[in-house]
Amino acid sequence: MLAGLMWTAGRVAVPFFIKLGLDRGIRDGGPLLPWSLAIAAAGLVSAVFLGVRRYLAFRNARIIEARLRDRIFAHIQRLHFSFHDANATGELMSRGNTDLQHFQNFIVLVPLTFANFLIVVTVTVIMLILQPTLALLALASLPFVNVLGRKFAQNLNPAVLKVQQESAQLAAVVEESVSGVRVVKGFGSENVQAEKLAFEADDVFDAAMWSSTIRARYLPGMELLPSIGLITVLGCGGHLVLDEQMSVGDLVSFNIYVIMMIQPLRMLGMIVAHGQRAAAAGVRISEVLGTAPKIVDVASPTLLPTDGELGRVELRDVDFDYHENTGAGVLRGLSLTIEPGESVALVGPTASGKSTIARLLPRFYDVDGGEILLDGIDVRDVRRQDLRRAVSIVFEETFLFSSSIRDNIAFADPDAEDELVVKAASLAGADDFIRELPDGYDTEIGERGYSLSGGQRQRIAIARAILADPRVLILDDATSAVDPTKEHEIRDALSEVMERRTTIVIAHRPATIALADRVVLLDEGHIVASGTHEDLLATNERYREVLAADRDADSAGDADSDGDDSEDGDAP
Amino acid sequence: MHTHGTDDGEQLGVAGTGAVLRRTAAFARPYRRGAMGAMALLFVWTMMLLAGPLLVRIGIDEGIEKGDGSVLNRTIVLYIAVAIISYFSFRFAIILLARVGERFLRDMRNRVFAHLLRQSMSFYDREKAGVLVSRMTSDVDSLQELVQFGLIMFTSAALLLIGSAVILFFLSWKLMLVCMVAMPFLAIANVKFQRDSNRAYLRVRDRIADTLSGLQEGISGVRVVQAFAREDGASSRFSDANQDLYRTHMDSVKIQCWYLPIVEFAGAGTTALALGVGGWMVSDGQLSIGTVVAFILLLSTLFEPVQQLSQLFNMVQSATASLNKLYGLLDADVDIDDHPDAVELDPAQPIRIDGVTFAYGDGDPVLSSVDLDIAAGERVAFVGPTGAGKSTLAKLIARFYDPTDGAIRIGATDLRDASVRSLRDGIVVVSQEGYLFSGTVADNIRVARPEASDDDVRDALVRIGVVERFDSLPDGLQTEVQERGSRLSAGEKQLVSLARAALADPALLILDEATSSVDPGTEAMVELAMETLMQGRTVIAIAHRLSTSERCDRVAVVADGRLAELGTHDDLVAAGGHYAELYEAWISGLGEAS
Repeated sequence: MLAGLMWTAGRVAVPFFIKLGLDRGIRDGGPLLPWSLAIAAAGLVSAVFLGVRRYLAFRNARIIEARLRDRIFAHIQRLHFSFHDANATGELMSRGNTDLQHFQNFIVLVPLTFANFLIVVTVTVIMLILQPTLALLALASLPFVNVLGRKFAQNLNPAVLKVQQESAQLAAVVEESVSGVRVVKGFGSENVQAEKLAFEADDVFDAAMWSSTIRARYLPGMELLPSIGLITVLGCGGHLVLDEQMSVGDLVSFNIYVIMMIQPLRMLGMIVAHGQRAAAAGVRISEVLGTAPKIVDVASPTLLPTDGELGRVELRDVDFDYHENTGAGVLRGLSLTIEPGESVALVGPTASGKSTIARLLPRFYDVDGGEILLDGIDVRDVRRQDLRRAVSIVFEETFLFSSSIRDNIAFADPDAEDELVVKAASLAGADDFIRELPDGYDTEIGERGYSLSGGQRQRIAIARAILADPRVLILDDATSAVDPTKEHEIRDALSEVMERRTTIVIAHRPATIALADRVVLLDEGHIVASGTHEDLLATNERYREVLAADRDADSAGDADSDGDDSEDGDAP
Repeated sequence: MHTHGTDDGEQLGVAGTGAVLRRTAAFARPYRRGAMGAMALLFVWTMMLLAGPLLVRIGIDEGIEKGDGSVLNRTIVLYIAVAIISYFSFRFAIILLARVGERFLRDMRNRVFAHLLRQSMSFYDREKAGVLVSRMTSDVDSLQELVQFGLIMFTSAALLLIGSAVILFFLSWKLMLVCMVAMPFLAIANVKFQRDSNRAYLRVRDRIADTLSGLQEGISGVRVVQAFAREDGASSRFSDANQDLYRTHMDSVKIQCWYLPIVEFAGAGTTALALGVGGWMVSDGQLSIGTVVAFILLLSTLFEPVQQLSQLFNMVQSATASLNKLYGLLDADVDIDDHPDAVELDPAQPIRIDGVTFAYGDGDPVLSSVDLDIAAGERVAFVGPTGAGKSTLAKLIARFYDPTDGAIRIGATDLRDASVRSLRDGIVVVSQEGYLFSGTVADNIRVARPEASDDDVRDALVRIGVVERFDSLPDGLQTEVQERGSRLSAGEKQLVSLARAALADPALLILDEATSSVDPGTEAMVELAMETLMQGRTVIAIAHRLSTSERCDRVAVVADGRLAELGTHDDLVAAGGHYAELYEAWISGLGEAS
């Protein structure tokens, strides 16, 4: 604020000293040097404080931006699964990106607006003191600069937004054509895509022309208004000088003052539009920040027991539905007990509730009715941190982070010893292929790194869960992309992992299912049957049906199902 | 690997810039008239801007100083005319320039994209998809930014700078020389600012990209983060990236914060000089007071453009770099293209693969000396381990690539002599894993034959017996598939893919079977559709399941780039080779299941 004040003072003083120099120095033949020095000094002050003010304004805005982004990120990390189910990644991205940008732009403008406002006021006052009549005449047209500036910003924003939207649509066509180039080439449908693009390019053209038309409508007008002021100054002011009611210096300083007002007035007009945008962005940001995490720790959490046989899982009369009040729940009155160290395979057709059970135990969602106990304690009474260290899940859709393979495996415990990492990888059947990679365990994977096949990714995800050394391990269709011939290898390893802890396996392949001590057959949220794989095969018709539906998916026929969409596609 | 247009360097040399400009001039030939008109209008506009201070000088010297009110009035009338001309020339300059620039961009987009689509698969293997997309998006967008406002500001700032320097020179070259003392300092500051700010801009851009990908990763990986209770770790990792961004932002702010004051002070200092020295020259009788005033007023139009130019220069530079990359893309040769006397291919003929060797780029051969004859109407399954070359062989038959050695003929025609159009019409490659484009289900099926009516699409679905499945969607065939088909199940996507092939109705079908079936519910339907689709045409199936190869007339086992085994399913099983082994494993897998 002080910097803005000093900047304004320096700026406004310059024309005043020019006037004095012209009148007292040149016209009256007095000394000129003091006025020159005064101008230079005033210029120095305004220059220095221009820098200071800018620095402070940006620093403030950037600090706020950075803090807010940290907060948004940290908050999103804590929000429950059902929030993320309902909000697309892209949507949330724009909270921490474009919305924050709008907000930041506005914060930068606040001190600037203050300084601009100060300039407008000070200059008006000085002009009124120097020559009130001329001041009123010269300034008469200037408020319209403000009005035009505001209207310009208001009209331009939707047009600019439209250009961005149309460009995004065009980008989507390019993106899908490039990623789907095999389909495009396979069907020779290059022309279809080219026409789609031409259509979008026309839309972009129209939107861009719209925004240019708005520029053409307002910008020249915003130039013209100050000219009217300048003409008034020269015309009326000139006659006033002729009538000796004012000096040449006054005339010149008026001229400069009018020019000096243009920029601040335009900015003041635009701040309104910026403010509106920032407000809308702020609302969206606070909607996210205002969403309370649903899955939170209770005030005085219970510790999980650490002695005796660990890993007993009990579902008691559990009701659950992903959507509130649809009536038909995903799980209805389901009860299931898994003994410590037991391995259970959950089998059932799509949407039978297998994955839901896998997601309720680590408390990604809370049950609607009944309770889930781990080692005798309701999972809702355990600290989330403790619960999730005790229960590890491997999701069907593998997500790996862009960092080294080592960091990915040691995700649960970044300080884990290298031997533990290697051991976990071996148990997951991943050690062999990792060692063959260019940088072994230090190979960077992800978006900008080495790309692994689906099966390799799944094995790393399994290693990640093994390293966490949980008392309950959940494998949710975690080997679906693993090549059947190679699954054999990790099956042996898995049986070793399963031996020492409670394991819940969701799988389609009989060989994997057979690893479990017990099979639980689910259908429509109910347990239909329970027993060993052999028993159920022998006695249960429904079980055979479910397996048969999956049978053909078990592509034992060839060694090619490692998740690559093209076998030779690993061209550089 | 260094390829066309993937170079990410931002700076172009003088020679490079010259070449880009010459090329742009050639490219922009159709819009030459509009461009010249826009430039002429911009010129008029800046001249009118410069006329203001000169009119003030005339008003003061000829009117006020001589006590002549009528001269003053005439000056005012002239000033009003100048303002009006300025208004209209500016207005039309914006419109005209936008029309020319946006047309240029629209044509550029269409041209680059058409060129991209003509490229062969080996081009897409070589170039990263992300880079190609960014050529068409961020590179064209940076040009768009220039066209939308950069160009007009850049041109007018340059004209203002030159114009006011010329006027100052003629008003009083002596006083101008005095005022020029500030120039060397300003020039040095400008060069340094230029360099530093460009570097800072690139760093900021990189950090923004890092932060955004961190944000993206944090959001899309949130389930894993929570599953391992690593929320704090993830947040602090993100916070580090965010802090880096903050620091680079501040570096770039600091650069502006020392540069802008220098420009501001240069303006005031020069004004002080103009007043002091000019005043002394007035008292000496060398100058009129109006000239000193015009000097003071013009100096501000001299310094403002300097500041603007240095900021716009970066924009112009990155636009030039973008243009260069786009030209690089346009220069990439199309390697699979029509021969001057290309012939129409009849795909309903036997296929002869004759001593075919193939390598991707300069790599080791993926296939070596493969010979294979396929009769018209025959079904052949290609089987073999990953990387052995079975997909490659199939792609060569579709002429996604040309063989390095040997030839593939359909009937008597070497594929290289066939027109690309007739190839694409007669041979369809369909990957069972359906890739979806934006649009409706019907649109997606129609990619195979854009002119097909809704009834044709429906017929195709009826033919492969799956129309009920799509009719049961909320809007039937008109259901929007949205982003990457989030509303269709994996099995339904496979059905869309097969329906495309049914609609295209090719004589030769190359079917890349899905590696795994993710959707047991639609499995039977997919199997049936595939069987129907194969009827009445030559089929090459890249088989991942032995149930498929069992249904084919012959099986070709490709291993280590060679045709290892060839024969009917029964023969090969009986022969006890590689195929028999695979079959054995498969059978035992089934045994475990039932």
